[in-house]
Amino acid sequence: MEAFLDYAWLVPVLPLLSAALIARFGKLLPGGGSEIGIAAVGASLVISLGIAWHTFMQGSPEPFERSLEWSPLGGGFIFELGMLVDGLTAMMFVLVGVVSLMVHIYSREYMHGEERFTYFYAMLSLFTFSMLLLVIANNTLQAVIGWELVGLCSYLLIGFYWEEKSNQDAANKAFLTTKFGDVGLIVGVIVLSAGMFELTDTPFNIGQTIDAAVGGQLSETTIVLGMLLIFLGCVSKSGQMPLHVWLPDAMAGPTPVSALIHAATMVTAGIFLLARLFPVVAQSATVMAVIAVVGVITLFFGGLLALVQDDIKKVLAYSTVSQLGYMMAAIGVGGYTAAIFHLFTHGFFKALLFLGSGSLIHAVHSNNMSDMGGMRKAMPWTYVTFVIGSLALAGFPLTAGFFSKDEILIAGEIWAGYGFATGNLVYYVGLAAAFVTTFYMARAVFLIFFGENRSHHAPHESGAQMVAPLVVLAVLSIASGYLFSPFSGDERNFEQWTATPVIEEGVFPFVDAGTALGTGTVASAPVVLAAAGDGSILHGPPKWHPDLLAIVLVLFGAAVALAWRLYGRQFPRPDPTSQMGVFTRVLDNKYGFDEAGYRFVVVPVRDHLSRWATWSSNVVIDGMVAGTGRSVRSLAEATYRVVDQKVIDGSVNGAAFSAAWWSERLKRMQTGDVQRYLGALVAGVIVLVLAIVAASGN
Amino acid sequence: MNPVGPLLLAALLFCIGVYGIIARRNAVLVLISVEMMLNAVNINLVTFQNLLYPDDPLVSGQMFALFIIAVAAAEVGVGLAIVFNLFRNRASIDVDDVDLMRW
Repeated sequence: MEAFLDYAWLVPVLPLLSAALIARFGKLLPGGGSEIGIAAVGASLVISLGIAWHTFMQGSPEPFERSLEWSPLGGGFIFELGMLVDGLTAMMFVLVGVVSLMVHIYSREYMHGEERFTYFYAMLSLFTFSMLLLVIANNTLQAVIGWELVGLCSYLLIGFYWEEKSNQDAANKAFLTTKFGDVGLIVGVIVLSAGMFELTDTPFNIGQTIDAAVGGQLSETTIVLGMLLIFLGCVSKSGQMPLHVWLPDAMAGPTPVSALIHAATMVTAGIFLLARLFPVVAQSATVMAVIAVVGVITLFFGGLLALVQDDIKKVLAYSTVSQLGYMMAAIGVGGYTAAIFHLFTHGFFKALLFLGSGSLIHAVHSNNMSDMGGMRKAMPWTYVTFVIGSLALAGFPLTAGFFSKDEILIAGEIWAGYGFATGNLVYYVGLAAAFVTTFYMARAVFLIFFGENRSHHAPHESGAQMVAPLVVLAVLSIASGYLFSPFSGDERNFEQWTATPVIEEGVFPFVDAGTALGTGTVASAPVVLAAAGDGSILHGPPKWHPDLLAIVLVLFGAAVALAWRLYGRQFPRPDPTSQMGVFTRVLDNKYGFDEAGYRFVVVPVRDHLSRWATWSSNVVIDGMVAGTGRSVRSLAEATYRVVDQKVIDGSVNGAAFSAAWWSERLKRMQTGDVQRYLGALVAGVIVLVLAIVAASGN
Repeated sequence: MNPVGPLLLAALLFCIGVYGIIARRNAVLVLISVEMMLNAVNINLVTFQNLLYPDDPLVSGQMFALFIIAVAAAEVGVGLAIVFNLFRNRASIDVDDVDLMRW
C-alpha cells in the first residue's frame, strides 16, 4: 500500500491524459470517447482508494511530499510543482474520484445523442484533472493554477448549451463572479508568501507556511490580511453570500455537470483550501469570526431561498449554498473535522440528488416540480435513491448527513464553550436551517413523487447506466457517515485520517483553556468539553447526544409533517410558499442581490466603465499604436525619398553618369592619329627627363 | 678623338628624325625619318665604341651598327610594303587619313 503514495501524481495526470486523448481521438471511438474517460477516472480512483486505505490505516501520518523544483526567477526563489499527500488529500481524491466516475458513467446515457458528446467528456475529464491538481498541490501557486482551471472548466460546461443566450449569460456570470474572488485569492496568496521569503526558498509551500504560522514567525497582519483575502476567493468559489449569485444560474449546464460542480469539483474547492490552510486560519480569532459569520448568514438565508423555487435543480442549488454555509461556519468555529466530514458526505448525497433530478428531468423533459408528481410508481429506483439522498441532506438520524451535520453543531457548541458568541450562532441558526432544509426537501419529494402525474409524458425509469450510479451514491450517502460516528473506532476514524500532526497537536492560540469551560448552553456540552477543554483542534470521535438527537428528530418530524400537510396529497395551487406576502417577494427577488448586482455592478460596468474602456482602447491606445505606425511610416517614406533615392541611388547613378560624362570627353583623346600619340610620348619623356634632372640636381 | 662632333651630329639627326615622324604627313617621309633616327643611333654606337672600348677586339659597337643597318633594311621593306598597300586601298599615303583606330 505504501507504493501507492509514490504514484499519487498519476491521480491528476490520468484525467489530463484522458482529456487530451478524448479531444484528439474521441470521435473515432464507438463510445464517443466516454470509455477513455471512464477508464482513466476509474484507474485514478483505484490509486486514490489505495492511498486512502494506506493513510487511513496509518492515522494522521506525516504528509508525504514530493516536488519538482523550478527556479525561473532566480534570487533564491523556487517554484514547485509538487504533491502533498495526507489524509485530507486522500479524502478529496476519493470524493472527486467517486463522484467524477459516477458522473462519467451516468452521462453516457444522459448525454446520449448530444451533438457535442465528445467535447463534453473531454471537458469532464479536464474538470476532474483541474480539481485534483488543486487538491494535490503542495504549494499555493499550484493550487491557484488548479483553482483557475476549475473556474475555466465550469465556465465551459455551464455554457455547454451555448446556443441559448441565457446559458451564455449564466456561464459569464459564474466566471466573472468567481473571478472577482480569485483576485482576492491571488493577492492573499502573495500576501501570505511575503512573510515567507525571508524564511525559505519556497515561500509558497503550504507545509512550510503552516509551520511558520504555527511557530509564530508570520506577523498577525500577514495572517489576517492574507487569510481574509484568500477567504474572499473561497466566498466566490464556494458560493457564500453575497457572491453565491452565480451558483443557481450555473444550473444552465447539463445536470451531470451540476452534480460535479456541486459535489466534487468546484464549490468544494473553497472549503478544501481553507481546510488545507486551517492551522493558519486557526491563528487568528478575527479571521475565524469573519468566516463563521459569513457561513452562518449563508447557511440560513441560502436555505430559505430554496423554499420558493419550482425548478428542482434550483432547489438543490440553494440547498448546496446552504450546506456550503454549514461547512464554512464549521471552519469558522474550529470544526476542521466537521467541515471536511460534511464536505465528504455532502459530496455523495448532493451528487446523488443531482443525478436523481437528472433522471427525473430525463423522464419528464422539464425541470419544474409542478410538471412532475406521482413519479414514485414509474421510477422506483430514482424514488428510493432520491429519498435516501433527501434524508441524508435533511440530516435524518443514521444517514451520513446526520453524523456530519451534527458534528458541525457540536463544533459550534464547543466553540461556544470557549466563550465565542459565533459558536452559539452556528448552533442555533444551524438547527433552524436544518428545519428549513428538511422542509424544502420534503416539499420537493412530495411534489415530485406523490400526488398525480402532472407531466405530459408517460414517465419511465432510466436505464442501468443512470440507475447504477444512483445506487452506488445512495449506499455511500449512508455508509460514508459511519467513518466518524459513535460506531467508529478511536484510532481508525475520519478525524484521525484527515488530521495532520500539526492539527493533532494544534491548539487555538487565542483560546484560554483554563477559564472557558462550562459556558455551553446545551446539557451535553460539558461532556463534550471534558474531552476538548484544552483548546485543541481535535476532540475525538463523537458520542451520542440524546438531547441533540431529540431536537433533531422533533425538527425533522415537524418539517416533514408541515410539508405533508401542504403538499402531501396533491399539488396545491397556488403554492403556499408563494402566498407569504412580503416574505415571498423578498425570496423571489433573492434578497435583491441579483437586482443590486445588476444595478450597481453590471450596469455601471457595462454603461460607463466599459464605454470608457472602449474609448480609452479605441482612442488612446489605438491612437498611440496608429500614431506610432503613422510616424514610423512617414519616417520610412522620408528615408526612402532622401537616403535611398537621393543618397544611395544618387551615388550609384552619379558614378555611372560621371563615368559616362568623363568617357565622353576622354574618348576624344583616342584620335587614331599615331603622330599625335607620338608627340605626347616625346613630350612626356622630355618632362620626365627634366623632372629627373631637377630631382637629382638637388 | 674628340667625340663632340659625332655626338652632336647624332643628336641633330635624332631630333630631325623625331620631328619628321611627328610632323610629316607623307608616310614615305615618316619612314625616312625613322631611318634617320636609326642612323643617329648607329653613329652613337660607333662613337662610344671608339671612345670607351677602343681596344675591344670584337668591336661590338660597330657590330651592333651593322645589325641595325640590316634590321633597318628589313624594316624599311616591311614599312614600304605597308605604305604600298595603303596607297592601293586609299589612293593616298597621307598618315592623317589613316585613323581607323580612332574612337
